[in-house]
Amino acid sequence: MKLHFADYLIIVVYFAFVITVGFVIKRKIKSSNDFLSSSRSIPLWITSLAFISANLGAQEVLGMVASGAKYGIMTVHFYWVGAIFAMVFLAVFMMPFYYGSKARSVPEYLFMRFDEKTRALNAVSFAVMTVFSSGISLFALAKLLEVILHWDFDVSIWLAAGIVMIYTFLGGLTSAVYNEVLQFFLIVLGLSPLVVVALHDAGGWNTIKANLEPQLTHAWKYMGKADNNPMGINFMSLIFGLGFVMSFGYWCTDFLVVQRAMIARNMKDAQRTPVIAAIPKMLMPLIVVLPGVVAIALMQPALQSKGYSIPTNASGQLDYTMTLPSLIAHYYPSGLLGVGITALIASFMSGMAGNVTAFNSVFTYDIYQSYFVKHKSDKHYLWVGKFITVAGILISIATAYVAKSFNNINDFLQLVFSFVNGPLFATFLLGMFWKRTTGHGAFWGLLAGTVAAALTHGFTIAEGKGGWIAPVFEIKSGMGQAFIVASISWIANFTMTIIVSLFTKPKPEASLKGLVYSLTVKPTYKEEKWYKRVAPLGLLLVIITIILNLIFF
Amino acid sequence: MLNRLTQLSFIIGVFFTIVAIILLTGFFVSTLLSSFLNLYAGIAFLIFGLIMMLIKPANK
Repeated sequence: MKLHFADYLIIVVYFAFVITVGFVIKRKIKSSNDFLSSSRSIPLWITSLAFISANLGAQEVLGMVASGAKYGIMTVHFYWVGAIFAMVFLAVFMMPFYYGSKARSVPEYLFMRFDEKTRALNAVSFAVMTVFSSGISLFALAKLLEVILHWDFDVSIWLAAGIVMIYTFLGGLTSAVYNEVLQFFLIVLGLSPLVVVALHDAGGWNTIKANLEPQLTHAWKYMGKADNNPMGINFMSLIFGLGFVMSFGYWCTDFLVVQRAMIARNMKDAQRTPVIAAIPKMLMPLIVVLPGVVAIALMQPALQSKGYSIPTNASGQLDYTMTLPSLIAHYYPSGLLGVGITALIASFMSGMAGNVTAFNSVFTYDIYQSYFVKHKSDKHYLWVGKFITVAGILISIATAYVAKSFNNINDFLQLVFSFVNGPLFATFLLGMFWKRTTGHGAFWGLLAGTVAAALTHGFTIAEGKGGWIAPVFEIKSGMGQAFIVASISWIANFTMTIIVSLFTKPKPEASLKGLVYSLTVKPTYKEEKWYKRVAPLGLLLVIITIILNLIFF
Repeated sequence: MLNRLTQLSFIIGVFFTIVAIILLTGFFVSTLLSSFLNLYAGIAFLIFGLIMMLIKPANK
């Protein structure tokens, strides 16, 4: 792939804009709250698009196209089984507690609901996870630019990290959120022409279906037995592992995304944010899954005359991670090629900035201010936040070099999330809906869940990964392994939390008001029209999602 | 003008308008960019960019 002047010009214009956003927002940053939590001042349309854009990083864009090519249309389960239901649940049931409690972060909510040690455990594990994810994004970007454009790996890492550092250092969370929205439009508009052209070239959806194995074009039909589908899992594992544990764990408790709703102007907008975000999220498979399915179809004998193939790696196997870049190189002319490459770069930078801004909030509020330096001036915490932004990016850079040894970004990230997020949702579910849950229960439950995740990974092996204790159980795919690890860790956490809670003293009910469902006055919006109310809108989205599942059954 | 620069919709609109101008100019003046994909994408980006620039967010 060779870029020309117009392509480079578009990339430079993009870099100039994201940095400009940082400088424009800088004028608004007066306090640590402005820098770390946008002082709850962001309009609904921005929080909604930032909500999904924070998830629209390397994992989403490259990883989902790769999964589309590897697992086929089953990849839509990440959206139509996982994301939508979890986002609606977050909006209707959980946002009132996050927003109403006035917590500045998810770990801080855990402190209010449980105790200090539960907050510390969550804050530290979250901080590690976000920096790790940020490093993965950075590594993937540098690898991509090295392979397709022959840019120097080190220069790519430092250039991308440097630009993210500038705009997050200048404008903090607001700057990151503004750029996430710009990146959202760039990714959607930049990749849409690719979907249209590739789909047209492949002869449309019916031709694709005729040329692919049916397991790749049906979402549910072959889920009865694990051996019958490319993901190697049955429908029960999928619904519980992905649909419930992993998706709810990610969308409902991961501060990276929840933070975007927590900076809305009021409770109503905070609740609406995930629901509004669910609308484009529902359509996202068109941009990030369909190209993968088209790519694998184009490699079938009947369509080989089109001249497209997914690149292979050093061992001669298909390098699915390169599916999207190779499609862009195949179909985009100079000019639009620059837009496509910029969209890819934007997705990495979006993922990285999202992680860094969540990291600096949690580190400053939940680690530094809580355990190291209390009762300092606001200016002090503002500068700590800025310093941590720089430190977080430097750690990400170091992580990027460590990440070189892993192949499929998506499988790997899902595994990391399953260790941290899998058990976490059980803690929140019990904490928000069972007032008897205690701090000790939450803490030991979280530990038990994480240990169970590690043990399960240690005893199972999939695609050569895991089995580091003893490879007792073999699972067909890394994705399937991640679902099982998450499921077992969730069950371990849920069980342990209940057992320990029953033997320890709960907090008095008076201190749980606004933090537990049965002790909180729920916001009602009866005066609003139905389409402005969270519950009816959420229900409508759930119905549409079920219909989509049936269409692609 | 400075106030408009703080409006995200305006910034996004300006960005896509500039990208559209690059694509459309390239389509008409350079053989390298003469693909109709650039023309169609350029027109679409231009329309989107202008709409975003014209949107004025409601003050709450």
